[in-house]
Amino acid sequence: MLSEERSKDIETDALSAPAAGRLANPDVRDEFGLETLDMSMGPQHPAMHGLLRLILELDGETVVRCDPVMGYLHRSKEKISENRMYPAVIPITDRIDYMNNMAMEYGYCLAVESLMDVEIPPRADAIRALMNEFSRIMSHIPSIGFLLLELGAFTPILYAFRERERIQTIMEAVTGARMMFHYIRIGGVKADLPEGMPEEMWKYIEGLEERLEPDFVDLIAGNEIFVARTRGVGKMTQEKAVEMGLTGVPLRCTGVEFDVRKHYPYGWYKNLDFDVVTDEAGDVEASYRCRIGEVKQSIRMIKQILENLPEGEVMGDTGRRIRPDEGDGFGRVESARGEYAVHIVSDGTDTPYRVHYRTPCTVNMQLLQEIVPGHYLPDIMPIMGLIDPVSGAWDK
Amino acid sequence: MGTVLQYLDQEPFRFLLSVGAILFLVLNLAAVFTMAERKTSAYIQLRYGPNRVGPRGLLQPAADVFKLFSKENLSPSRADLWIFLGAPIAMFIPAALVWLVVPFAPNAVIADLNVAIVFFIAVTSIGALGLIMAGYGSRSTFSLLGAMRGAAQMISYEVPLILSLLGVIMLSGSLSLVDVVNAQGGGFWHWYFLPQLPMFIVFYIAGIAEARRVPFDLPEGESEIVGGFMVEYSGMTWGLIQAAEFASMGLISAITATLFLGGWQPPIEALDFGNFNWIWFGLKTALLVFTFQWIRWSLPRLRMDQLMDFGWKILVPICLIWLFVTAGLMLLFPSVF
Repeated sequence: MLSEERSKDIETDALSAPAAGRLANPDVRDEFGLETLDMSMGPQHPAMHGLLRLILELDGETVVRCDPVMGYLHRSKEKISENRMYPAVIPITDRIDYMNNMAMEYGYCLAVESLMDVEIPPRADAIRALMNEFSRIMSHIPSIGFLLLELGAFTPILYAFRERERIQTIMEAVTGARMMFHYIRIGGVKADLPEGMPEEMWKYIEGLEERLEPDFVDLIAGNEIFVARTRGVGKMTQEKAVEMGLTGVPLRCTGVEFDVRKHYPYGWYKNLDFDVVTDEAGDVEASYRCRIGEVKQSIRMIKQILENLPEGEVMGDTGRRIRPDEGDGFGRVESARGEYAVHIVSDGTDTPYRVHYRTPCTVNMQLLQEIVPGHYLPDIMPIMGLIDPVSGAWDK
Repeated sequence: MGTVLQYLDQEPFRFLLSVGAILFLVLNLAAVFTMAERKTSAYIQLRYGPNRVGPRGLLQPAADVFKLFSKENLSPSRADLWIFLGAPIAMFIPAALVWLVVPFAPNAVIADLNVAIVFFIAVTSIGALGLIMAGYGSRSTFSLLGAMRGAAQMISYEVPLILSLLGVIMLSGSLSLVDVVNAQGGGFWHWYFLPQLPMFIVFYIAGIAEARRVPFDLPEGESEIVGGFMVEYSGMTWGLIQAAEFASMGLISAITATLFLGGWQPPIEALDFGNFNWIWFGLKTALLVFTFQWIRWSLPRLRMDQLMDFGWKILVPICLIWLFVTAGLMLLFPSVF
């Protein structure tokens, strides 16, 4: 047993700064003369999508204040990028958003290519878009699973991971890796699709189309408890969403039609016919519907790409050594979580002078502070599912 | 041989034997249910489940228990040790005790109390005390929230649980579970789940809430308050809480089977196995336990306010209405009942 003094010390240390402040000023009470409860949720918490700490102030089960604390998975991505040659940065970008790596590589390569005089062969462009859409499905379907997991239903996550697993098998055949692909290179892609791969992809995509409705819509969308837990939870207006600079599903589920693929088309997306999925409600249920809709659009795009896959080379001529011109390079793509942009400052050497990654998660995370107060404690988890952040992407 | 049996039927041997039998049953039940739970969940989730330890993975529960025994019991330095360590016991004993009054077969009941139903209600309520002790004793914010939720939930759901029993008591005219079972003899159309269908459903739902299972596992809420009242427990103290949970799951199923599905009564007279009628009791209980697990792995969790709304605004009115219907029918057609 601890001595009296020591346990007292521990007690005071354990108080967070606001609680200590309230001890000094005990007048902060609610109308019943009751104090609020401070609670530190995370960074080690099963529902925090990685390492996020929330400092909560609770009035019973109602959240009064919510302060997200980021930085528990900070790995100095931007600084490391300054010390590597241009092609060697790509594996680092892979590890930013580890649920949707392909978009991370794509954004970086677009930024470097904007500084170089290199022509991307059409086949490489098409393969890039193809792999990006697979990567999006691979990220969206588990997101739906995670949302349900956080609501307390354990089963959908395993159905979701079955799909992710199958796509990973395809990815492994194409890129050689299951998660950290390092597939999109400056000037093209690493290698052409293996023989017979387009047929295999087609087969999988048709199977997914069949399974999507019964497994992820019929089993989930009509469930009374799911509706009760998600409808009206995390509700926000269009103005609020635009004001906070949200992108991706959190923005589109309020009804704002913004998609980088559509409005600032890059690569092969110029040739593709697809819709931007939006929803009016702006709550968790709407974000779930948006994700399902986007998976359907991705399936549509993959089919289009596979139908007219151009022939030819997959790597443009970048020269023996990649040394972009001096200046600012910029690339933006629509990742599964929103707009992902890369800004590179080049000083004409073979390492970047400065790289900045604008990840959607960092920005979308502001929602927590704005929207969570007033909700019940268990509503934090579906709101996390609405934003669907990835620890690696908000901390970089 | 005859003399041995004579001795066994006398106190204190009878008492010791009964306690041994109940403990054997409850502890093994926990092991069997863990295995059943893991296999059911696996098949619902497109997995195989445990299949490595022993033949077809059947020794997995033994391995689990061995692991739990070999783990250290950690207790937080700021915890109130007496309350903290007493809580698992306070949860386990009531869950095991009620099995005393459950009739397993025609002549197999340890204590044929004439107030068995009241005993069931009274003793299960003590389980809530253990939960509050666990949450309060560990001195953690998460467990405190879990205990608060648990106390509110278990007290609220006791009301529909008791109200839904009243119809059965009125029909059978007795508080003894043996009498209730005997009154349901002669084929499945005599079982009380037919005239008391709404009460049967309400009792089962309230029972799920009382056993703290999904969709009513708010005191645990592993994705929000990470285990709630049992977040600080480890090793065998945790194991005891789990055993209590499984025992109460089995208990609710057994009591539902006894009250509404005719206990050990066979569905048709031709299938009467005499003293072996415990097979029927076991089958009904197993079916209800499977339903428990089926619900557990298919549904998300409710929120606290929705849980309260559901209990007070839906379950309680249904019970009250059906109570009046039953009473009215009994007054109008006294010859039928």
